[in-house]
Amino acid sequence: MTTPRLDTRDRLRVWLWSLGLQGSWNPQRMQNLGLLATLVAWRSRRPHDLEDDRHFCRRYYEFFNTNPYLANFLVGGLIHLEQQAAAGQTPPPGLIRMFRDSLGRALASLGDQLFWMGLRPAFTLALCLLGLIGWWWAALGLVVCFAAGQLVLRWISLEQGLRLGMDLVDVVSARGWHRAVALVRRSGMILAGALGGLYVLRLQDVAASVDASLLIMGAAFGMVVPLVLRRRLPGEFLMLLAFGLALALTFAIPESGG
Amino acid sequence: MTAGGFLDWGDPVGFAGAAVLGGLLALDDTAYAQTWLSQPLPAALLTGLLLGDPLTGLALGLPLQIVLAANIPVGQSFTGDAVTSTVGVTAAAVLAEASQTPALLHGSAGLPELGWLLLAVSLLSIAGQYAVGAERRGNTAWMLRGHRTLRDGDLGRIGRLHLRCMQVTFVRGAVTTVAAAYLVYAVWLPLFGHLPARVQAASGLLALLLPGLGLGAVVEQYGLRRSAPWLAIGAAAVVALGTVVRA
Repeated sequence: MTTPRLDTRDRLRVWLWSLGLQGSWNPQRMQNLGLLATLVAWRSRRPHDLEDDRHFCRRYYEFFNTNPYLANFLVGGLIHLEQQAAAGQTPPPGLIRMFRDSLGRALASLGDQLFWMGLRPAFTLALCLLGLIGWWWAALGLVVCFAAGQLVLRWISLEQGLRLGMDLVDVVSARGWHRAVALVRRSGMILAGALGGLYVLRLQDVAASVDASLLIMGAAFGMVVPLVLRRRLPGEFLMLLAFGLALALTFAIPESGG
Repeated sequence: MTAGGFLDWGDPVGFAGAAVLGGLLALDDTAYAQTWLSQPLPAALLTGLLLGDPLTGLALGLPLQIVLAANIPVGQSFTGDAVTSTVGVTAAAVLAEASQTPALLHGSAGLPELGWLLLAVSLLSIAGQYAVGAERRGNTAWMLRGHRTLRDGDLGRIGRLHLRCMQVTFVRGAVTTVAAAYLVYAVWLPLFGHLPARVQAASGLLALLLPGLGLGAVVEQYGLRRSAPWLAIGAAAVVALGTVVRA
């Protein structure tokens, strides 16, 4: 059996294109063009055959969506299968499509839990905590660390996908992912509590300039509003809501109301 | 503050720098790499650093980061354009020499002008949704052009179309950033002096109240009952630490 390989130059090329997976995101087929462009970065370095190229494009022109941070597991896996097919080990009809769709969905779900619902809120809260302390340079440093970390993850996952091919299913179903999600979410909750505590302390500090008790009541009211509404309003609308609340508070705070 | 009248560009190099940064961060937001440098706080800090006033970046970026914390790009129909509006408004504040002090930091209650600028970010972000939507519909049209490759097998076309979509994202980011910056510089900031006293006062309170709403939204996302013990641990740790530091 042929062991699929990708030399460093080709791997770098595929990795750079894979960073733009969502560059042509569209409502109709989402990341399909991004995935195809990434795979073409590998394919275009191989000997051309018009019919094969047409079929290759047809395979990847359908709807595709996954989590961009974990997508390189799949990109590597697909290159693995394509290399096997090119070497004459023709996979069963529909296997590549099934692999792409099922693994893409699994990675999308995992990535949503780990990155969008776990890491991003926790990371945001950590940034805010550093900002509220006044360590803006540390906040920037934290972002740089995340940026470097996710780039490394994408590099390693490309290699893993290329090596494992179909066996990637074992990586995705590992229990470690779910433990990581739980850990990150708990960290986020602790950070939210810490930020809330610091926020209240800071509000007390500004007691000299505005009526602190009313302000804290306003802040508490503000915190309760999203919980009572039970609707995930976008932050932009929360800002407009906060402005309405602030306007109402000016009637109760004579010093601020003028 | 030295924001001038209509068609007064003040420092064109500063506007151009902000436009390039806005374009690059618009790319980072969704299209390329997604390093999170395009999140509101880093974006505002980078704009402030670029134009020589990182504290104004912190003042604007911090409340924005908290209140936008619950904006998750999963299954949401609203996308907004917080990136270019944050960069544009921060650039306008620095270029108009309307330096801001971070609210709640070192006992500062914040400035009414800061709240007024935050309000501009929210309105511009909501307006920017239409530009993002138009860009994505444009991506569909480019993507459909790639169907020709299914007939002629020209693989190079796929890469070119994909890169063109990213170029459009960069240009959209740069243009909306400079438009936001100019609008705030020439109209929004000069308007502040003409506002009724009560609206100015409400703007002053805005930056103080935003973290509360943002935290409420994050807790709602985690689930209050599930997160309560962990929230209590975090809050208790900070309050204890704060008490020790003050003592």
